[in-house]
Amino acid sequence: MRDPFTVLGVSEDAGDAEIRRRYLALVRDFPPDRDPDRFREYRAAYDALSDERKRLETKLLHTNEAALSRLNSAALGAASSGTARPSKQAVAALLNEGIMRTVTD
Amino acid sequence: MNKAQRRGPAPSVPTDVLAARAAEALEQERFKEAIELFKLLTRQEPRPEWKQSLAAAYHGRARVMAAKKMFKEAAMVLENTIAADGTVRDPRLYLTCLLRDGQQPKAAAYLLRCCGSDGAVPAAERAPLEDLAAALLIAVPQLPDAPRAAPAGSPRWRDMAAASRQALAAWINGASAEEIEQHLNRISLRSAFRPIRLLLGSLIGESGDDERTRQLLETIRPGSPFYPFRQAVEAVVLRDRVLDAAGWERLTPAQQVFVAEVRGLPIAASQFLARSAEAAQGGPGALFGFLMKQSELPREEVRSACLNLLPQIPDRVAQFEKTFGPLPELDRHRIKALAAEARNDWQMAERHWNAVADAIAGGIADGPADRLAMLSQGVIYRHLAHLAHMHPEIGGGGFDDPVIFYLERCTAVDPEHIPSVLQLIERYREDSRDKDWHRLADDAIQRFPDDSQVLLRATESAVARKAYKKAAGFARRLLKINAINPGIRRQMIELQVAHARKQMRSKRPELAAKELSAAAEWERPDAPSPLLRIARGLAGLPIGPRDQAEAWLSEGVGLAGGGAAGWFQARFEAELMKVTGDDAAWLRKELARACEAPPTKEAVMRIVSALGQPEARENKRLVTGLLLSMRAWLEKAAGFDWPEAEFQALAETLTRFEAFELLREFARAGRQRDPANPIWRFHHMVARTRGKADKLSPAEADDLFEMAEMAAEREDFQVTKRIRQFLYGDDKPPSRRGRGPSAPSDAMVEAEMDAAFAAMVDQLPKSATRGLREMVAELGPDAAVAEMVEQMRESPLVPGMPEPMIRRLARAMVEKALEKARPRRGGKVDWDEFF
Repeated sequence: MRDPFTVLGVSEDAGDAEIRRRYLALVRDFPPDRDPDRFREYRAAYDALSDERKRLETKLLHTNEAALSRLNSAALGAASSGTARPSKQAVAALLNEGIMRTVTD
Repeated sequence: MNKAQRRGPAPSVPTDVLAARAAEALEQERFKEAIELFKLLTRQEPRPEWKQSLAAAYHGRARVMAAKKMFKEAAMVLENTIAADGTVRDPRLYLTCLLRDGQQPKAAAYLLRCCGSDGAVPAAERAPLEDLAAALLIAVPQLPDAPRAAPAGSPRWRDMAAASRQALAAWINGASAEEIEQHLNRISLRSAFRPIRLLLGSLIGESGDDERTRQLLETIRPGSPFYPFRQAVEAVVLRDRVLDAAGWERLTPAQQVFVAEVRGLPIAASQFLARSAEAAQGGPGALFGFLMKQSELPREEVRSACLNLLPQIPDRVAQFEKTFGPLPELDRHRIKALAAEARNDWQMAERHWNAVADAIAGGIADGPADRLAMLSQGVIYRHLAHLAHMHPEIGGGGFDDPVIFYLERCTAVDPEHIPSVLQLIERYREDSRDKDWHRLADDAIQRFPDDSQVLLRATESAVARKAYKKAAGFARRLLKINAINPGIRRQMIELQVAHARKQMRSKRPELAAKELSAAAEWERPDAPSPLLRIARGLAGLPIGPRDQAEAWLSEGVGLAGGGAAGWFQARFEAELMKVTGDDAAWLRKELARACEAPPTKEAVMRIVSALGQPEARENKRLVTGLLLSMRAWLEKAAGFDWPEAEFQALAETLTRFEAFELLREFARAGRQRDPANPIWRFHHMVARTRGKADKLSPAEADDLFEMAEMAAEREDFQVTKRIRQFLYGDDKPPSRRGRGPSAPSDAMVEAEMDAAFAAMVDQLPKSATRGLREMVAELGPDAAVAEMVEQMRESPLVPGMPEPMIRRLARAMVEKALEKARPRRGGKVDWDEFF
């Protein structure tokens, strides 16, 4: 499982109420019928963080990537909201990924 | 077929023989040989069926090659099957091979031909192939030329592919929305190129509405080759898709590049993201190295990220400390514990987790932060209990079951964690520590009076102590929380019936009737209890009214299966209540009359089920007598075609109640029906020896050993256990803590070991004895054993001594020290002197 703090987008010192609020907001945006895999991921992350003991368990007994995710978030913070145009190679790579997925799945 | 035959047939072989051999090779999937033979045949005479078979052989050979990842060769083999319209057998396999071999342009050209021709591809395969064609015709660097003698649909396909490519190029080159739309309008929404129209439309903001855009994009399904493109477009155009770390990590590398370019990420950020992803793929060591070089990033975040990697790369701790300073004790041991778990070194993991708990305890004073510290300790001890349950190497405190040891520690630091309390109650019960079980159940119900699980455990505990009123009180509370709970209702009825039996045996039927009338409160109308009805009937017989009593009995007998099975239960209950005189005679007569009807499997199994109850086990002679009274009826069931599972249950019941004559009849009939199954033979031996393994003949014993070995080989552990149980008489597997030897030989080894340890302990030098006493005085006996085990484990003087033996030796020494203990403060035992 991916780092549950990152999946829910909460800090490591978030409390029960904040985690629940964030989980419900994510489920509202991505209900299970729209994206079942993503919902399962949110559910698992919420289960791992829903109370104080579980959060301690996550912090003490597992290695997590929250800090690395924070570094990535900082880098992503520089993104603009506008839409620039990508390179031809970037688009070709996306199409090729889809083509290869259909023949290998 | 031998080598000579495989080399090929002599020219003189008749055609029909050759054809038969070729067909056989094809059927047996010897494709290479089939190809050669069918080639020979078609050269002699190009019959259509042989051509078809040759194509099938090529197809089979190509599949085999593709499975071995020989895609280039597989594609070449399939090209031997090209038909007049230019298509090959199994176009999908052909395309897969071309694409996986990197021959995208050739695949695109092939698809253009296929998709333009109406009958070239079977209808079922058409839609996915068209989707693939659309994506490929856009993705390849150059649109393929129109095929020679192009099929009717080819030009239209080519036009739409060209329009899609032009629209995409216009968007990439920064053209205006109007210009892009002109190209898009040439793409039919009913064509396979529709996704590109939707994707570009979303990117230029055609709909202007997030919800509409989402709906349109959702029509590109996960199986489509445009699906990764859809996900990337969603990440950039939908406003709710905030570009956060979680969203970023969900993207594939190709999608990340696209999103970074479209969202205009600065090059430095983009590079960091790409390199960190690349480093992460290289493993924790590579990522650690990459992060350590990031001097521009916030130091605390880099430290935290590196710290999280250390359990996977514990050899980098020194490098970490050099850069970020020394690690606190807690983190140091946590890293070592997680690293030990990763290499399945459970003893080391236990040691370091305990050190983590100690480090946390060292910082505890008072205040809210300390509550968190105690909860953290609880987490560690719970984890250790879990590890102890899974791995026998985990030792705990020495004397106790390690799971109990750690659960006790967990509940001491975190007494409010109900699952741990419940687990400990269960563990005490399983471990037959009844005093602890009942004490903890009582304590738990005081602290968590409204928890249904705690109420259930408290009820069970009260039932086990036969504390009826207490159990009834808990059960009532439980039913307020969960009104259905059939388990607790049944348990309460059984408890009250047991109480009524006592009253009946003391010749107080009125009190019994009152008790049973009260028991009726636990019954649900939709789940009447046969036991209660029978018991009420029997209690009512001496006090009347008789009609009512007989009605209850009839109802109970009916609910218990009716006939012989129902009257058997009534008679059994009557025997337990010591019903005598006319009533007992009447019951005997009713059972005898019921036994006049032929038996059924269901009726026999109902009796077996009734005899599984504790009352039956506690009244063995009574049951044996009852079974004997029904012998003739039961014998008639011996000839049924019993499934093995049902027969096992039946045979165990007959063995338990020593109905060996009946068992022999059943086993004999089983052997006649199914002589190959050894299970009947086993039960026949049990019956012949009347359950006494020492009466087995040597040949029979050998036969049983062989039977057990064969059962173990096929992993039939039930049969292995039964045979072992018969041979050795032990019910349970030997405890992993070594409580109770499982066989005479084990007992001998244990005794010898104890004697050896006693001799070693007697020779303990004075200084070592003194050190030991001091340690016991300081730490207490349990912790002293654990400490000694640690010290002895590290001592080079006990190399290779198994863990249980070290533990026993340590325990023997502590016991010896306790004999003469005189408390003092002190340090470490000098083992070198002792050994």
